[in-house]
Amino acid sequence: MPIDAGTVEKIAALARLELDPAERERLVRELQAILSYVEQLQAVDVTGIEPTSQVTEGDPPPLRADVAGPCDVRDEVLAQAPDRDGDYFRVPKVV
Amino acid sequence: MMRPPDSTRTGAGSRWTLSTASEIADAVREGKASAEEVTRAFLAHADRTSDRLGTWLHRMPEEALRAARAVDLKRTGGARLGALAGVPIAIKDNIAIRGIPTTCGSKILEGYRPPYDAHVIERLREADAIVVGKTNCDEFAMGSSTENSAYHPTRNPWDPSRVPGGSSGGSAAAVAAREAPLALGSDTGGSVRQPAAFCGVYGLKPTYGAVSRYGLVAFASSLDQIGPFARTARDTALAYNAIAGPDARDMTSRAEAKPVDLAALDRGVQGLTFGVPRELLEGDGLAPEIRSCFDATAEAFRAHGARLVDVSLPNAKYSIATYYLIAPAEASSNLARYDGVRFGLRAPAKDLREMYEKTRRQGFGREVRRRILLGTYALSAGYYDAYYLRAQKVRTLIRADFMKALGAADALLLPVTPTTAFGIGEKVEDPLAMYLNDIFSIPASLAGVPALSFPAGFGPTGLPIGLQLVGRPFAEETLLRAARAHEGWNDASKKAPPIATEAAA
Repeated sequence: MPIDAGTVEKIAALARLELDPAERERLVRELQAILSYVEQLQAVDVTGIEPTSQVTEGDPPPLRADVAGPCDVRDEVLAQAPDRDGDYFRVPKVV
Repeated sequence: MMRPPDSTRTGAGSRWTLSTASEIADAVREGKASAEEVTRAFLAHADRTSDRLGTWLHRMPEEALRAARAVDLKRTGGARLGALAGVPIAIKDNIAIRGIPTTCGSKILEGYRPPYDAHVIERLREADAIVVGKTNCDEFAMGSSTENSAYHPTRNPWDPSRVPGGSSGGSAAAVAAREAPLALGSDTGGSVRQPAAFCGVYGLKPTYGAVSRYGLVAFASSLDQIGPFARTARDTALAYNAIAGPDARDMTSRAEAKPVDLAALDRGVQGLTFGVPRELLEGDGLAPEIRSCFDATAEAFRAHGARLVDVSLPNAKYSIATYYLIAPAEASSNLARYDGVRFGLRAPAKDLREMYEKTRRQGFGREVRRRILLGTYALSAGYYDAYYLRAQKVRTLIRADFMKALGAADALLLPVTPTTAFGIGEKVEDPLAMYLNDIFSIPASLAGVPALSFPAGFGPTGLPIGLQLVGRPFAEETLLRAARAHEGWNDASKKAPPIATEAAA
């Protein structure tokens, strides 16, 4: 199905990605080419076929006991913050 | 103590940089070499070669030498050393090492230092391996050429005007150039196997679930798998054994992933059946030199006692379309976490929403933005059933093809790539053309089965050709056994690019 600049704008907003006009135009072309290619899947008969979300043979590892463990990396994690206020991450105003 | 010929000054061409991981580990365990002198030899060699190749994003000489001295002390203290004693190893930059920059080749993670080690890093340390640095890759492992790294490209050690493949191009180039005897990469649709083929080394994508993904930065979680690069089948097995097995922190990891029996690798191919998927080979675009290498290799397997059977993978031709819906869909979800709030890049902005949008605009490169948008589209209301859900159903058919073919054969023989390494810049403006190169590597990823890229020959201009063995779930040993046998009659894996052996200037 055809994809236009408005659609690209809409999905960019959903993905929280800023696009400039030149890139938006290029993406219309590139995404259109890729979507035309994947269109071939519409020809496959998938009647009654279950989807595969993940291929997992065998048994998962046993669940650990539901007991809180120590987390000793708080300072390392907070040290990565682009902006912080004490033990809080700070962000620009929300509304 | 036995010493290599003056390793501190001649580094390149020294015995250690040309040695296999198995030889190094044996020498270190037996006290014939120290982990420190081995590590120094590799560091000195990489000092001379790595700027020309662009192999690394972050080198770790001090940490490596400290780790090497600790291994040497452990030995002199009487402790038994691990299977990778003193063996330097390069780590793709999407695998977390505590306190060491981990960027995934992206600007959005510039300056990020993980507060924890990946499971594979813990396991490598238990095996007494020496981590020597983080290797370059396509941003968030999205690419087939390492040109999508936000930092710099990596060059193919066999021809610096060509790409090393990708996304784990730095890891493949490091092993080919003898900057490290082993490396880890990650493979989502071919990102270990394809660069291994382009650089003339071994690259193993283990069975989905064989290696814990704890600490691997997520790209497409249902496909991502960490795998090793090496220069021999045995070294590949050693590295696989060091990292495989269950981990409570990854519920997709599996106890069925058993270590490869190294002694079993020498059993030859007598009695094995190899499946040849004819219709995949007849598709357009398979270069004649790859086709003739494939035919010669299949014939050699037969001549050495294996049986060849034709198998059919009728749905494999839909693999690229299936993959380029599923992988971007999962990526668009996984990459939502890069929002500028807790780590990495943050763009200045007047409010929170603008901060997200500008941070992600500035932090992600073109290919990553393209795939996020493609995935967001495939998952969006009104298109989910037509694209994502349908792709997951076709994935079921592709996997069923493989399980059927692998019922009739112990392993399938396939090319890895339609051509040898292409030129830097050649495909960068045509994303679909880049994707179409993945036709031979993506099917095994969708099926979740193990696949090994092994050096099989060279094209007319001297570029390496890799071929691929695809096996049953958790049958890595069969693939490595066949590759080990192939090594016995084919010397492709023994040749080195000139940069690997050149004398110090």
